Amino acid sequence: MPAIEIRNLSKSFGAVRAVDDVSFTVEAGTVTGYLGPNGAGKTTTLRSLLGLVAPDSGEALVNGRRYADLARPVCEVGAVLEATNFHPGRTARDHLRVLCAAAGLPEARAEQTLGQVGLADVARKRVAGFSLGMRQRLALATALLGEPRILILDEPANGLDPGGIQWLRGFLRFLADDQGCAVLVSSHVLAEVEQTVDDVVIIAGGRMVREGTLAELTSAGDRGVRVAGAGVERLRARLEAAGATVESPQDGVLLVHGAPPETVGQAALDERVVLSELVRERSDLEAVFMELTAAPGGPPPPPVAGAVTGAPGSAS
Amino acid sequence: MTRLVRAELLKVFTTRMVWGMLALSLGFTAIGLVALSVLSGAQGVPAVTGPEGVRNLFSQAGTGLVFAFVIGTLLMTGEYRFQTITYTFLVTPRRERVVAAKLAACAVVGLLFGLAGIALAFAVAIPALLIRGASLSLIGGDVARVCAGVVGAMALYAILGLAVGSLLRNQVAAIVVGVGWVYVLESILVALLPSVGKWLPGGAAQAVYGVSSPFGSGYLPAWGGAALLVGYAAVFAAVASLTTIRRDIT
Repeated sequence: MPAIEIRNLSKSFGAVRAVDDVSFTVEAGTVTGYLGPNGAGKTTTLRSLLGLVAPDSGEALVNGRRYADLARPVCEVGAVLEATNFHPGRTARDHLRVLCAAAGLPEARAEQTLGQVGLADVARKRVAGFSLGMRQRLALATALLGEPRILILDEPANGLDPGGIQWLRGFLRFLADDQGCAVLVSSHVLAEVEQTVDDVVIIAGGRMVREGTLAELTSAGDRGVRVAGAGVERLRARLEAAGATVESPQDGVLLVHGAPPETVGQAALDERVVLSELVRERSDLEAVFMELTAAPGGPPPPPVAGAVTGAPGSAS
Repeated sequence: MTRLVRAELLKVFTTRMVWGMLALSLGFTAIGLVALSVLSGAQGVPAVTGPEGVRNLFSQAGTGLVFAFVIGTLLMTGEYRFQTITYTFLVTPRRERVVAAKLAACAVVGLLFGLAGIALAFAVAIPALLIRGASLSLIGGDVARVCAGVVGAMALYAILGLAVGSLLRNQVAAIVVGVGWVYVLESILVALLPSVGKWLPGGAAQAVYGVSSPFGSGYLPAWGGAALLVGYAAVFAAVASLTTIRRDIT
C-alpha cells in the first residue's frame, strides 16, 4: 500500500477547475516533488489530501485511508502548508503545547521538535518577532510533533535563506533515507527541489502533465555531447563518419548528437586534440518543466539559458 | 474530548487578550458596584439595605457580558485571522469535535469571568451592607440565584461570540456586531419594545438575575429566562457547528 495515494482527484472552486483528474502515489522512503507554476492546483491537491478541502470527486488517501478517518492523524502525517501562520502573541513553545494538548502528545515533544528545527533558543519568544524563515521552521516543528512517517510540505522553502534551503534539503533526505518517511513536497521553484527529489509529478492548469523519476524526466531531454578545445574542429569528420550529427555553436566548441561521450573521447585521442571540456548535456528539470507547463497559446517560452551540465542529483 | 477542551483553554490563556478582557469586565462591575453602593436609596436606586437593592448589587457581577462575548469571538476568528485553523483541523480533522471543545471552553471562560465578577461583588457588597447597617443575612437564596444567572449569562455570551465569529470569521466585524448588539441595538429594543426585549438574550439574563425592568415591563420568570438562555446557547452552538464543519480551509 502506498503511503500517499491520489486517485482521479477533482475539485472546482466556482467556475475554476483547480484540480482535474489527478492521480499519483508516493512510496515510503522516497521524496516526491509536486511541481507546477503558481495556481496549478498543488495546494488544493495537498489540502484535499489533508481533509481541509472536500474534493468533488476522486480520493486522496494516506496509508490507505482518508485523513479524517485516521485515529491519530498527527502521528501518521505531518504537514507544512502555505497560508498558515501563528498567533503573534503566543510563544513558539505555547503553539506547540496547544497542538500537543489537542493531539494527546506529551508536552516534551514541543521542546524536542523545536530543537530538531533549530529554534530551541527562541522557544519562549513570542512569534510576533519571528522572521519568515523562523516561522517556516516552526511550521516544520508542528509537522514533526507526532513523529509521522509521511510528510507533506507545500512550498516549504518559501522565506528560507540559502542556508535554510540547504538545511531543508538535507533534512528531507534524512527523513526519507534514514527514517524511511514518504515525503511529498510541492514547489514552483524547481532549483529548490531538483537536488532533493527522487520522483517528480508535474501539474499545470489543474491537470497532470508528467509523472516519473527525476532521471527519466531529465534524460528525456538529452541535448547531446558538448566538447570544447582549440583544435576541436578536427573531430568533425571522424564523428560524422561514425554517424553523428555535429553542430558548432561557437568557435572551439562542438555539440555532438547521436554519439556517446566515449566515441567523442576516442575521436579526440585518435586526432590527438587537447580537450578543455567533454560533457553530456542534459536539459535540467527547469527546461523540461517550462516545456511541459507552457500554456498553449500563451507567450512563447523564453530561450533555455545555459542548460545545466552533469548528472542531476549529484550535488546536495 | 477533555484534551481538546484543554487545548482550547490553552489557546485562550496563552495570549494576553483574556486578561485584558477580564480586567475590563471587572472594571465595569466595579463601577456598577460602587455607584449602586454610593447612590443607595437615592434617585430611585433601591437601597442596598433591602432585598431588591442587594439583588441589583450582585447583578453587577454580570455587567461585563460583552467581554466574555469578545473572548468567544476571538477563539474562533483568531483561528481564521492567524490561519491557525489549519493546524487545529490537522490535529483534529473531525471538526465537530473542535467546535464542541470550543463551546465547552467558552462555557469555562464564562464561568471564570462570572466567578471573578461574583467575587468582586462580594468584596464590595459586604462592606457596603455593613456600612449601611444592613444585615448580611440579606445575602441569601436570591443572591445565589443572581450569581447562577451571572455565570450562565457569561457562558452564553462567550458561546454567542463563538457563533458570531464562526459566521463572520472577520475578527473586527464580529466584535463590532457583538458590541453594537449588546450596547446599542439590544438596549434600544429593550427600551422601545419591552415586550420584544424580554425575549432577547439580555432580557433573559436580566430575568435570571431577577432584577426589575427599568421600564416597568416585567421580564420572564427566572426559570423562563434560564430556559431561554439555554435555548439561545443551543441555537448558536448549532450555527457555529454547521458553518465551521462544511467550509473548505484554503
